[in-house]
Amino acid sequence: MAKSSSNKRKTVEYSRYGYFFIAPFFIVFAIFQLWPLIYTMGLAFCENYTDTMFNVEVGPTFNGLANFKTIFVGNDGSLFDTYTFRALGNTIIMWLMNFMPQILLALLLAVWFTDTRVKMKAQGAYKILTFMPNIITAATISVLFYKLFDFPNGPINQFFVNSGIWSEPFRFLDTKWSTRGIISFINFWMWYGNTMIVLTAGVLGISPSLFEAARVDGASSWQIFKSVTLPLLRPIMLFTLVNSAIGGLQMYDIPKLLTTSGYGDPDYTTRTITMYIRELAFTGSRQMGKAAAASLVLFVVTLFFSLILFYIMRDKDAIKEKKAIKAAQKARKGAN
Amino acid sequence: MKKKLLSALLSTAMVASLLVGCGGDGGAATTDNNAAADNTAAATDNTAAADNTAAADNTAAADTSSDAAASGDKFYIYSWNTELGERLEYVYKAYPEIKDRVEYVNVGDSAIYQEKIDQLLQTPDAEDYPDMIAFEAGYIMKYTNSDYTIPVTDCGITDADLAEMYPYTITIATDQRDGSLKGLSWQACPGAFIYRTDLAESLLGVTSPDEMQAKINSWDAFLDTAREIKEKSGDATRILSSNGDVVNTFMSNKTQPWVTSDSVFHMDSAMEEYMDVVQVLESEDLTQKTTQWSDEWNAGPSTDAVFGYFGCTWFLHWTIKANCGGDAVGSGTYGLWNMCQGPAPYYWGGTWLGATANCSDTALAGQIMKSLCCDTETIQTLSEETLDYVNNKTAMKNLSDAGKGAYDFLGGQDFIAVFSPLAEDVDVSWMCAYDQKVNELLDTQVTAYARGDKDKETAIADFKAAVAEAYPALTVE
Repeated sequence: MAKSSSNKRKTVEYSRYGYFFIAPFFIVFAIFQLWPLIYTMGLAFCENYTDTMFNVEVGPTFNGLANFKTIFVGNDGSLFDTYTFRALGNTIIMWLMNFMPQILLALLLAVWFTDTRVKMKAQGAYKILTFMPNIITAATISVLFYKLFDFPNGPINQFFVNSGIWSEPFRFLDTKWSTRGIISFINFWMWYGNTMIVLTAGVLGISPSLFEAARVDGASSWQIFKSVTLPLLRPIMLFTLVNSAIGGLQMYDIPKLLTTSGYGDPDYTTRTITMYIRELAFTGSRQMGKAAAASLVLFVVTLFFSLILFYIMRDKDAIKEKKAIKAAQKARKGAN
Repeated sequence: MKKKLLSALLSTAMVASLLVGCGGDGGAATTDNNAAADNTAAATDNTAAADNTAAADNTAAADTSSDAAASGDKFYIYSWNTELGERLEYVYKAYPEIKDRVEYVNVGDSAIYQEKIDQLLQTPDAEDYPDMIAFEAGYIMKYTNSDYTIPVTDCGITDADLAEMYPYTITIATDQRDGSLKGLSWQACPGAFIYRTDLAESLLGVTSPDEMQAKINSWDAFLDTAREIKEKSGDATRILSSNGDVVNTFMSNKTQPWVTSDSVFHMDSAMEEYMDVVQVLESEDLTQKTTQWSDEWNAGPSTDAVFGYFGCTWFLHWTIKANCGGDAVGSGTYGLWNMCQGPAPYYWGGTWLGATANCSDTALAGQIMKSLCCDTETIQTLSEETLDYVNNKTAMKNLSDAGKGAYDFLGGQDFIAVFSPLAEDVDVSWMCAYDQKVNELLDTQVTAYARGDKDKETAIADFKAAVAEAYPALTVE
């Protein structure tokens, strides 16, 4: 009897050590992530700002949904016509503008780099070149582009004016769509290398025998890509898409650093939601409550986009198969 | 059982090693503190010995030596650039014993300075809590009108110490709630229009500052002169570098502050005039269309592309002279400049210094303020060596009388004589705690209006909406 109980304890003891080893992570997580998260959620339902007149902090006192009301309803009573949703709109526009070309180019390069028939030379050098912009800090890149597109005497303007193409210099960084375009381009240029590496890994994970079989059957490159590579790349694509959606919606560094005032020139048309949240929380009246509410809105929007992506990228065949199995089981049970 | 003990020990060790970073720092800091406390005690003793002024001072010093021993840390002064740190050298010269104790922290960027200070002020017991902070004109009222700062009288500054100061520097730093003075400044910053004499003569036929003043004594005259310069130079020269150069002149001539004491926001009529002037400058192509402080803009003084700048005391030395492309008469545009008042009197910038609510050593704070801002002798030396226009009428008069004001950079014009009457006339009734942020918000809309992206009504409406968004407690008219 005694023997068996000691045996039992031995097996249990080992698994317990694991908890001690993962404890530090959970302690740090609880203090630096979980608590701030809960606190932010609480703050979103509170009135909390600083009255600049005499620099006195107001609140935090519970005020229900008042913060959300100012976020969703504009001054003239129209829904979504607010600074928050304009900032969110800017973010989504600039994200889509950089993400769509980014995933296409990354996919193309990933397929080329892994294609056994193309056998590209000096692949390492290409990979380094495409990944390079990602290593340089955003601040450096912003300064570089700021100088390039400077008005009136930046290199780009000088080129167009001196070569006689334009009669006068163009304000790249003070025009809505050119500024958005430049920001999107920088993000595209910085991140396509990264996306490419991830997708390359995904393609390399597909069994080469499948490609060979397809080729033996006489499939063209496009057919192989469409019917073999893409379907099998789905889990990696989903990861990339969701990752990029989260990163894109939190876009901050480039638009913040690229524009002169840092508030999303011209006229807040390149102000992203995170820039706006920071402005709310740390400048002017330091509206912590409203900033927390805006953060929650960002959270919900991110969640929404991720769920849409999960839905689009779901494995339809697998779901169908599962349903069929279930139906068959039911039918068998019924027969029995 | 043994294994359990061992595992507990191991995991404790791991957690401990995680926290050891903080723990180690804390330990070091405590020992430092003790050492600092010793220094402090010694320093305050010295101070008391050096300061033979009054019995009151001695008691103050005695009080704080116990205070300092209790809190026993370094004396932190925060600012956003190196300027104040360099000026403090003059204080150290007078009181060498405080140099080791004072820790000057340069936040490094005026854009994040307020955020940094706001956070620090929330933690009165922190090691690096600021004992003194510097304020810029744009937001000084946010701090002086609050309980985060203490009256200078609590630091041992008396009314007699303030006698030589320009009145506006005192008005700005006065708490509007109870009228107590919360900060002192060592500089005065009246502004003028600084222009090129050679270009004035060749383009406008103007040979003296008085004649120049007559050509730009109102905004209409200013715009006419701007058109004349553009036309006669054949588009080679513009009157200003950036559209934003005029902003301070207009700000100083508002009839009321952005926000009055009843928390109501007002759009002054002077601001509409400002929008119109910028719109004319932009649409008629009367400036170089650069951005203030950009490379392009900084390069202006060394070329013939820019006729003049709106600038104040520090601007003259640190911006125009520094960028004129020469360092003696004959090189660059050195010596080819002159000053006149321009369309309206104004002032621009300036730094104040105040003690915080939880200041660890108010006597030391008082000593620094007294030495840097009130002591005529120190401040006169400071002005002579750094060319700062200091906040001391006697010192400036002495320097002017001694002929120190004749400035070779201005072709011999006496800059003190130009600035002195302007400094006396500075009116600051238009200032409020909201200025900096509101001006930023206005700038965005003025730019949009000037470039024709939206009409004036929309720009004003958008501006008011942005103010309401930034300050929910205000009533926006």
